[in-house]
Amino acid sequence: MAEVGNFRGLQAANKRKTFALLILFGLLMWFVAYAALTYFGGSTAYLVPFAVAISLISVWGSYYGSDRLVLTMTGAKLITENDNPKLFNLVHEVVIASGLPMPKVAIVVDPAPNAFATGRNPEHALIAFTTGILDVMDRDQLQGVIAHEMSHVANRDTLVSAVAASTAGAIAILSDFLMRIMFFGGRRDSNNNSNPIALVVSLIVLIMAPLAAMLLKSAISRKRESLADATAVSFTRNPAGLRSALEVLARDSTVVQQRSTAVAHIWIESPLDAKAVSRLFASHPPIEERIATLRAMESLS
Amino acid sequence: MEIIIALGVIALIAIFLVVQYNRLIRLNVAVDESFAQIEVQLKRRADLIPNLVETVKGYAEHEKSTFDAVVAARAKATSATSLTDVAAADGMLTQALRGLLAVAEAYPDLKASSNFLSLQEELATTENKVSFARQFYNDNVRSLNTAVKTMPTNFFAGLAKVSEREFYEVEDPQSRQVPNVKF
Repeated sequence: MAEVGNFRGLQAANKRKTFALLILFGLLMWFVAYAALTYFGGSTAYLVPFAVAISLISVWGSYYGSDRLVLTMTGAKLITENDNPKLFNLVHEVVIASGLPMPKVAIVVDPAPNAFATGRNPEHALIAFTTGILDVMDRDQLQGVIAHEMSHVANRDTLVSAVAASTAGAIAILSDFLMRIMFFGGRRDSNNNSNPIALVVSLIVLIMAPLAAMLLKSAISRKRESLADATAVSFTRNPAGLRSALEVLARDSTVVQQRSTAVAHIWIESPLDAKAVSRLFASHPPIEERIATLRAMESLS
Repeated sequence: MEIIIALGVIALIAIFLVVQYNRLIRLNVAVDESFAQIEVQLKRRADLIPNLVETVKGYAEHEKSTFDAVVAARAKATSATSLTDVAAADGMLTQALRGLLAVAEAYPDLKASSNFLSLQEELATTENKVSFARQFYNDNVRSLNTAVKTMPTNFFAGLAKVSEREFYEVEDPQSRQVPNVKF
């Protein structure tokens, strides 16, 4: 099944890896809670549901309203068919190929070529394009980009990243609380029968947990990008289109003007400076790697 | 206690049966819907043709045989209803249109006319929509046929009155040369 270059195999493999990463996330959460209980004793037990609740409320609010929220954060403007019939034609083509409902379409006035998709479910999907990408790409390339964005919609990536973000958030909040308690001389319960090695290990887990959560979140984001590339090929059956679109993006050195890390993961090409973030923390796989994978699919035909 | 367990087992079996049955029905409906989509897109294409033929005629009156081929293929395509007829007419029209566009290549004035340029985008998108509609239909047929042939859904195919469906295959020698991912 998982022969290299076959998009069905790639899709299945990427889904499996995302699932494994989400399981790891659950384990990490459990480790942190356990470490907190070991280090501080039972008196901190109430903090775990508290941290989870704060994180859930903040992340799920933005997940539910993601289509509207992202519009304001990126300055995208919704357009109708009459504003750009050619773009709507292309989107409609991919809609037919994917069997998804027609998404809302928006434009970001920005010379850097880029695009993104969001929305809590396919019925509330929104895909946006910068004016830059519409200017530089031809029909086939744009079709590949649209298929990539529609793949995010089909794979429910807004949901997956919301799950990842809320777990990472809960871990960060929890570890922050515990650090503060420690810093202000909060004492652990006076049951001094604990094993000192367990205490040291717990402390290390608490310090390292937010970092590990960030790494996991980035790893999940990268897997979803690879999955979206494979799904895009299953829609268009034309890996060359998306491949040459990615080549255009790789050649282009301009980046989207607003470089908020909060919405970095939703663009097709990472808007952040590649050198500023190390590979492990990147929200996207290296673009050369994505191009190579698509090239392998082309040679298969 | 035993009665509760027995009822639970019966409920689970019932749920299992309903899920399998509904899955087959859903797959069958998806095939029907995607065939309707092919017809919608073929109709769109048929509606474009008179305008296209008129535009090309204005510049290239002598290419009568090409126009006749397109018009004849269009007439056949609009009257076809069964899957095989629709597919055959679709293939004919695709080839006739290709011939028409090849003719257009020889007339620079025509190619530069604004009318033709806007038609060209319409034709490009319609061709893509037709071929994506075919592909989506065939994907749905593949899912249905797999379900009809594999366990456990194959036991319910007779009950749900669902059987294997035909793929939509266009007779077009040229389409085999187009680089495409095949399985």
